[in-house]
Amino acid sequence: MTSPGTTGIELARLLRLASPALPVGAYSYSQGLEAAVESGTVHDLASAGRWLGDMLRFTMARLEGPVWRRLHAAWLAGDVSQVRVWNDWFLSTRETAELRAETLQMGYSLRRLFIDLNEFEPTGIAALESFAELAFPTAFTFAVAHWRIPEQDALTAYLWSWLENQVMAAVKAIPLGQTDGQRLLSRLSENIIIITEESALMKDAEINNYAHGFAIACSRHETQYSRLFRS
Amino acid sequence: MNLSDAIAASSAPQLAPAWNARLDLEYVRRAERTVLARREHFGPLRVQRDLYPEGEATCHTIIVHPPGGIAGGDALTLNARLGDGSAALLTTPGAGKWYRTVGPVARQSLNFELGAGAVLEWLPQEGIVFNGAVAETATTVRLQADALYLGWDVVCFGRAASGERFASGSFSTRTEIFCEGRRLWLEQGRMQGSDPLFDSPLGMAGHSVCGTLLAAGRLPDGEAGRELLAACRRVGVDKAALAGVTRLPGVLIARWLGDSAEDARAYFAEVWAKLRPALKKVPALAPRIWAT
Repeated sequence: MTSPGTTGIELARLLRLASPALPVGAYSYSQGLEAAVESGTVHDLASAGRWLGDMLRFTMARLEGPVWRRLHAAWLAGDVSQVRVWNDWFLSTRETAELRAETLQMGYSLRRLFIDLNEFEPTGIAALESFAELAFPTAFTFAVAHWRIPEQDALTAYLWSWLENQVMAAVKAIPLGQTDGQRLLSRLSENIIIITEESALMKDAEINNYAHGFAIACSRHETQYSRLFRS
Repeated sequence: MNLSDAIAASSAPQLAPAWNARLDLEYVRRAERTVLARREHFGPLRVQRDLYPEGEATCHTIIVHPPGGIAGGDALTLNARLGDGSAALLTTPGAGKWYRTVGPVARQSLNFELGAGAVLEWLPQEGIVFNGAVAETATTVRLQADALYLGWDVVCFGRAASGERFASGSFSTRTEIFCEGRRLWLEQGRMQGSDPLFDSPLGMAGHSVCGTLLAAGRLPDGEAGRELLAACRRVGVDKAALAGVTRLPGVLIARWLGDSAEDARAYFAEVWAKLRPALKKVPALAPRIWAT
């Protein structure tokens, strides 16, 4: 890795974006995990590790990571029309109503926060506000690009915060002990590094979201009788 | 073993000439009747019959591909354009096959354009991806205002009857739906033979058959939309299979995962029987060709 690494104020900003304290409500979503617990597919440490590892390997590595990079590159280039292309691309690949609602709510909340904090120049905020529907990675990469945080580090942080949230959902829904939660984080962190690197190599035509079992789990969650999470 | 299986089993696609086949269909509405006003074919992809089993409004069209399957280097294109207010139901008499290949990609491209208020039902039989096939399929649907698309796609990986698995080769699929230029839906898949996605609970979960039904365009919102979604969700599946239905803006999606193409088609036919009366305002009459 040739990335010079994130230090100083950029590091503090990145930690803030990736923190579970970021008020975008990430903790209220499980992305199909709760449905997988209900169906018995996920029931212990090993099956949770399989599910989350596969989420990283398939949906994050094959779709969200590469799209995140394209959004980031477009913001960096100041090319809002290209940001729009990938924002719409991301939204039209959301497999279910809940997954779509999740990214839109989180995108909306993050934009609201950016406006309230008054940390960005008005032209940037105006570009952000021009989106009728804003996906979460679109809002996240906006800040990363404006703060000039190195891409590799920022994507690692993005995936880390996604993973941490999923592990917390697993701890609650299965349930698992806190130490098992840390075991999952310890093991799966290594996958994040691989995915971050792999997603840089993926061509547009290779990006894919063909995950039938995942989409069915997420669809079934919509009618699940007893639930803690909104996806 | 039938003839096309025998050809496939001989596994010498480099000796067979590549087939480029294209079929262009154009439907127009004349008074109360939908007329198949233009059909033009190049190569072995053609209309076997156009018929009117349920009155003049909907033209049923059976599309045949006499070679029975697509080999490496072949390209099959079906273009259907439906004029304003016309209605067509397209189906196929048998399973489509993607043969084993040693080299070039086999391609299928479906392009559907629906004018204002037009209704297209694309209800083909399943596609079977033979072990070793290198297949690419792309479906693009463009809808104008108030148009409706009802389509399904069932894919079997490997020939289940002979216990074959899709161990080598690759399968790519892309489905895109636009309504008045705005993209409603995109699904892009790429799986290598023995892709870990086949065993993953997120992917095929160890199953060999998957299917998707899409209803797009003029869908009811509000209470009527919720009722329709609930009705589709009540369609049951066998214990060994999994299904789920969801609703996005302008698109309803039903998905199925299991090991029998017949069960998948039966499930989708039942979902279709809920959707059709609600969306097209006519009863769901199963095309007779499905029973043969």
